[in-house]
Amino acid sequence: MHHELTVWSRGIIMDKEARDVSTCIATAARKLGYHAENVSDYVDDPDRTNCLVRRYARFADEPILDRFVYENPHPDWVVLVEETIIKAVNFLRGTPDGQGVLVINSARDPEYLLKFLPPHMLAKLDKLVVVDATGLAEQRGSSPWMFVRDLSELAFDRMSTEGAVERLAIGMGIAAPLIGALVAATGDLPVDAVAEVVADRDAMIRGAKQHTVLTPAREA
Amino acid sequence: MSVRGTHVPEHLRLPIAGVTPPPTEKDGQRLFPTGNFRFFRPVYKDKTPPCNHACPTGEQIQKYLDYVKHDRYLDGYLTILEDNPMPSVTGRVCYHPCETACNRAAHDEPIGIRGVERFLGDFGLNLTENPIKKELPALNGKTVAIVGSGPGGLACAYHLRRRGYASVIFEALDKPGGMLRAGIPAWHLPEEILDKEIAKLLDLGGIEIRCGTRIGAPGWPGLDELERDYDATFLALGQDVGRRLDAEGAQARGVIGAMEFLRETGLGRPARIGRSVLVVGGGNTASDAARSAIRLGGGDATIVSLEAEGELLIQPEDLAQARDEGVGFRPNSSVVRVLTDGEGNVSGAVIAQARLAKDDSGAVRPQITEGTETEVACDAILVAIGQVQVLDWLPETATERGLVRADEYGRIPHGEGTIFVGGDVMRGPSMVVDALGDGKRAARDIDRVLCSRQLEPDPPAEVMPYEKLNTAYFRHAPRTEAPLTPAPARRTSQVTEVTLSYGREQARAEADRCMSCGVCNGCDNCYIVCPDVSVMRDARENGHYSIRTHYCKGCLVCVQECPTGCLEKVPEMDFDEPDAVVRMETAFAPYDGAHAEQAPFTRALIEEAIAEYDASRSNSNSIHPNGRGTS
Repeated sequence: MHHELTVWSRGIIMDKEARDVSTCIATAARKLGYHAENVSDYVDDPDRTNCLVRRYARFADEPILDRFVYENPHPDWVVLVEETIIKAVNFLRGTPDGQGVLVINSARDPEYLLKFLPPHMLAKLDKLVVVDATGLAEQRGSSPWMFVRDLSELAFDRMSTEGAVERLAIGMGIAAPLIGALVAATGDLPVDAVAEVVADRDAMIRGAKQHTVLTPAREA
Repeated sequence: MSVRGTHVPEHLRLPIAGVTPPPTEKDGQRLFPTGNFRFFRPVYKDKTPPCNHACPTGEQIQKYLDYVKHDRYLDGYLTILEDNPMPSVTGRVCYHPCETACNRAAHDEPIGIRGVERFLGDFGLNLTENPIKKELPALNGKTVAIVGSGPGGLACAYHLRRRGYASVIFEALDKPGGMLRAGIPAWHLPEEILDKEIAKLLDLGGIEIRCGTRIGAPGWPGLDELERDYDATFLALGQDVGRRLDAEGAQARGVIGAMEFLRETGLGRPARIGRSVLVVGGGNTASDAARSAIRLGGGDATIVSLEAEGELLIQPEDLAQARDEGVGFRPNSSVVRVLTDGEGNVSGAVIAQARLAKDDSGAVRPQITEGTETEVACDAILVAIGQVQVLDWLPETATERGLVRADEYGRIPHGEGTIFVGGDVMRGPSMVVDALGDGKRAARDIDRVLCSRQLEPDPPAEVMPYEKLNTAYFRHAPRTEAPLTPAPARRTSQVTEVTLSYGREQARAEADRCMSCGVCNGCDNCYIVCPDVSVMRDARENGHYSIRTHYCKGCLVCVQECPTGCLEKVPEMDFDEPDAVVRMETAFAPYDGAHAEQAPFTRALIEEAIAEYDASRSNSNSIHPNGRGTS
C-alpha cells in the first residue's frame, strides 16, 4: 500500500486546518505501523492571505525512499479545505488515472461541484467526497479563535498563524470532519484508530458518517 | 537573456524583480493569474437607498442629489421628472417620507431632500423650454380618461404622455389641481407655482383638462360612458367632502367643514369666520385650517383634538410653525355642544375632556369625561375630522366603506380590467406624493394592459440599512434648515410663503451630505485602496468600475472600504460560467520544485516578458551607454 495525500488550502486563514489533516493522517498511519511522512510546509507562500498552500502526507507499508522529494508527485488522496480551490488549480496533477479520491469541504450540491472539473481532471477521479466540514465542526458552542464557522468572517481575518506555536490541539475545527470523511471514504485506515489522534473526535466521527460520495467515472 | 554577469541555471530563470513586469504594466496581471487566491469576489451591486424606497413615486433621490453636488442641475431636474412631474409642488408640500427614512438620521440629521427637490423644481420651472418635450414619443392614438385633476390624475396623465398616450382629465371644480389648489393653502403652495406646473404638463401636448365636469353627477357621463369612449380610465377623485361634526347644535351657521373652508379660500371665495375660531381635529387639515383662519380673520384659532399633545398627526415642522403663528391647542378635548346666538350663528362651544378611542372596526369613538364641560366663545367652528367622497355613481361592488376597492394593481372589480384607481379615494386620506405614485403606477399598468402585457408586481427591493455603510467616511455635518418667513409677517397674509427656498450653496451643501446609501457614486475609493491594481475604470462614474478577476486576490479591502456599501462580496463558487474559472496548473511558487512547473502559457508569458525587457535594455544602452534610455 502506498498513498500520497495532498491537502490544498489557503494561506494564513485556513493554514492550520490543512496542516492538521496531513499531520493526523501521517501520525495515525505511523501509529498503525506504516512508514509515514508529513511535510507541513514547503515551496508555497504560507504568509500570503488566501494564497494556495499545500500540506503533504504519505504512508506506505514499504519504506519511503525518495525522502527528499517533498511534494507528492502522484497524490491519490486530495483534500480541498475550501471549496473554491476546485476552480483555482489542477490539484489532480500527477494523480494516477481513475484513482483519485477528492474530498471537498462544501455545503453545495456535489453535482454542482463536478461541473467545475474539466474532462482531464474527471478522468483522474475515482471518488468525489463532499463533506460540509464547516457545518459539522464546532457543534458544541462557541468556537475557538481561527475556527469560526463563517467563512466570510475568515475572509476578513487578517491574523497570521505563520510562526505561531501550536496553541491549540491538533485536529480541531474544520479539519476534524475533513479527516473523518477522508478516512471513511478511502477505507484504508480504521476510523477509530485515526480518531485517537484527532483532538475533536466527535466532529471527526460526524464527518466520517455525514458525507456524500460520488463516483462519476464509474457511473459514466 | 541578460543576467548581468551572473550565471543563473535554466530552472531558476524565474520572474524576479526587475525582469517581471509589475501588475500595472502590460501583461503584468496575466503573468501571475492570482485570481485563484480568491474565494469571495467583489461585485458592484447597487441597492435601493431608503429614501428612494420610501418615496411613493420612487424618485431616484440619491442620483439627483449627486447631480446637485456636481452643479448638474438640469440632469438632476430630468432625473426627478422620470418619476415625479411636479417637483416644485412636492418640494413645497410633500411630507417627505424620504427624509423620515434617510439613513443620515442615524448619523446626525436627515438630509433636507425636500428643499433640494424644490430647488431643482424651481430651476426647471424657470427654464424657457420644457427639456423633456423633445424626447416624448408621438401620440399612439389611444386616449385615457382620468377623473380628477389632483396630483394623482395629473401624474397619471403625465406618465401616460411619456408613454405616448393622450388623456382627458375631468375636473369637477372650475380650476385644475384638485386638492393641490382646493386643499392646500397658498402660503404652502403658491397658486402661481401650481399654475406653472400644470401649464408645463399641458404644454407637453395630448393632455386635455375639462374643468367644471363632475363625472357621475346627473347630466354628466358616468363610468359606463367613460369605459365606452376611452381606452382606459383612471379614477383619482380624491376625498374632498368633509365629515360632519357629530355634536348637538352642529347645524348652526358658522360650523364649516375645514375642507370646504380651505377650498373656498383657495378658489378666492373665503368664508366669513370672524376673529375667533375653533378647529376640531388633530391632523394636518386642522393645522392648515387653523393657520389659514388666523391669516383670514386676524384673530386667534385653537385646535381642539381628541389626540394628546404628543399624538397629534400634524407634521412636526408644521406643528412648530403653527405654534409660532399663535395657533392654540386644546388636546384631549372634544366639542360636545355648539352654542348659538339668537340668530342661529355660532357663538361658542362646550368642550369636554376626552380621549381618543377606537371601536373594533377601527372607527374613532371619543371617550368623554363627564363633568369636565366648559364653555368657550368663538365665531366659527372648522371641522377637520376626516374626509369622504361621493361614490354612489360607482357600482356597489367597487366600493367599500367609503373607499373604492381595488386589486393589488389598483384595478377596480368592474368591466374589463381597464379601470384603475388611485390616491385618497382608494387609500383614504394620504399624502400628495402617494397620489403621484399611484398615478405613475396606474400609467405603467394601463400601458401594460393596453399592450396586452401581463401586470406584474414590483420586484422586491433590497434596501440599504445604515449599519451596512462604512460610516467612517462620513463626517458629521449639520442639516441646513430651509429658511422661514418670520411668523409676524406670514400670519397676516394668505399668499406669503412660509417656507422659503434653498439657495444654490445651501442646496449643494445639503446634497453633499448624501451618503449615497448602497449606490456607487464614483468616489474612486475602491480604485485607490485596491492593493493589487485590480479595480479598473475608464470614467469616474457608476457603472464604469470593474474588477480584474484574473488578478484580484479577493482580499476584500475594496468591500471593506466602500463607503456606500454598493460593493459586496459574493462567493466565488456562485460564478459557474466558463470564463469565471481561473485555473492555474499548480500553486504559485517562487521556486521551481519537482511538482511546481508553471503551465505552458504562463511560462511563455515569462519568457516573452524577459525578452521584451532585455530588448528594451539593449536599445537604451546602445543610445545612452551611461544611463537609462529615453525610449
